[in-house]
Amino acid sequence: MICSQKGLRIIYAGALQQVMEKCLEHFSLQNSGLKFEMKGVGSREGAERLLSGEKYDIIALADQALFAELLVPELVGKYFVFAADQIVIAYNHSSRGSQEITQENWVDILLKPQVSFARSDHHLVPRGYRTLMVWQLAEKFYDRPGLNSTMQAACMPYSTYPKSLDLSSALFKGNVDYAFLYSSEAKQLGLPYIVLPSKINLSNPAYANFYDQASVKVESKIPGKSVIIHGNPIEFAVGLAKDSQHPELAQSFVDLLTGSEGSSILEECGLISC
Amino acid sequence: MNEEKISESELTIPIERSIQAELLLLLGQRPSHGYELIQRLNEVDFKSGEADAATVYRNLRRMDKEGLIKSHWEVGESGPGRRLYKLTFQGEASLKVWAKYIAQQKAKLENFLQAYFQFEESLPEKKDGVNLT
Repeated sequence: MICSQKGLRIIYAGALQQVMEKCLEHFSLQNSGLKFEMKGVGSREGAERLLSGEKYDIIALADQALFAELLVPELVGKYFVFAADQIVIAYNHSSRGSQEITQENWVDILLKPQVSFARSDHHLVPRGYRTLMVWQLAEKFYDRPGLNSTMQAACMPYSTYPKSLDLSSALFKGNVDYAFLYSSEAKQLGLPYIVLPSKINLSNPAYANFYDQASVKVESKIPGKSVIIHGNPIEFAVGLAKDSQHPELAQSFVDLLTGSEGSSILEECGLISC
Repeated sequence: MNEEKISESELTIPIERSIQAELLLLLGQRPSHGYELIQRLNEVDFKSGEADAATVYRNLRRMDKEGLIKSHWEVGESGPGRRLYKLTFQGEASLKVWAKYIAQQKAKLENFLQAYFQFEESLPEKKDGVNLT
C-alpha cells in the first residue's frame, strides 16, 4: 500500500471523466490517505497546459497522436494506448426525425431545415476534428460531392458547445436534436445513437489508410500558426510526466488503468479496452 | 491438453466463434498487438467477415483470461506502448482442435455438395425454369 500526504495531479480528456472517477475510487481504496487533484479538459488544451509549465503527474488524452505531436520526449516519457472508441450520432427521444433516422439516411435527416445538429470545437478537442473527418470520409464513402461543406454550413457553430460536457448536456436537455459524440459518451448518458459505417466512424485500424485521407487544420501551440491533423483510428492514451513528483504512485495508477481493473471500468463506461 | 483428449463436445464449437481460431492462428504466426491484429485479420483470405475493433479486443481479453494467449505491455522506442499478445501452449492445443473441427466441417460441406450435384444431375432438363416432364 502506498501512503502519501502529497497530491497526485491528473489531467485528462473530458470524455474520460467517468473512467477517471471510477479508477480513482478503486485506487483510493488501495492507497489510504491519498490526496489528488483531477482536471478534465479538452485534450489539446490539456497538452498545451503541460507545455505552458503546469505540473501534472499523469496525462490521459483522447488522441494518442497528441503525445508524439506535443509532449514526447520533452515532457512525457512512456505513454500507453489503453482504449478505443468510435464517433456516433447521438440523439434524444424528442429529437426531430428520431423515429426515422438510420445508418443509411442520417445525412438527409440531419440536413432537413427544421433539424439541428452540433459538434465540438476542433481546435480544443479531438472529437471536434474527428467529426469533421467523419464528414469528409462520408463525402467519399457515399459519393456525395460537397457533402462536407454542406454539413459544416448546416451545423450549429462549433463555439456553441465547444467541449464534451457542453455538447452532451445540450443534447440531454433537448437543446439540440443530434450531436456527434463518442459511443462511450452516448452509452454513459443512456442516449440512443446511430452507429456509422466502420469505413467512416474512425473505429477500425483496417481502414487506417482510408481515414488518413481526411485532414483538418487546427490552431497550433504557436499563436497564429496551424497544424494539419490526419484521420486515424480513435485511440486514447495515458502518459507519465517526466518530472512527476510521485513517479511510483503515478505508475501504480497507470497500472490500474491499463490492467484488468481498468479494463472492467472501461467496459462499464462503454469504451473498448485495448 | 493434447489431441487424444479432444472430446466430441469440443468439436462442436459454434462457427460464430471462429474469429478466435483466426486470431490464434495469426498469433501463432507471430506475436502482435491488437491494432496490428485487426489489420492483419482484415487482410487474410480466411477471414469470416469484417473484424471490428470491439470484437477483436473482446476476444483477445477472453482468450487472455482463459490462458490461450498471454500479454504484456510493450513500450516502443518511438510511439506508444501497446499490449502485445502471444500464443501459449494451451492456445496451440486449442488451435489444433480448431483445425480438426474445421477439417470435419469442410468434409461435411464437400459431402453435401457432392450429394447436391448428384441430385442436380438427376433432375429432368428444364427450359426457362419450366419443368418439361
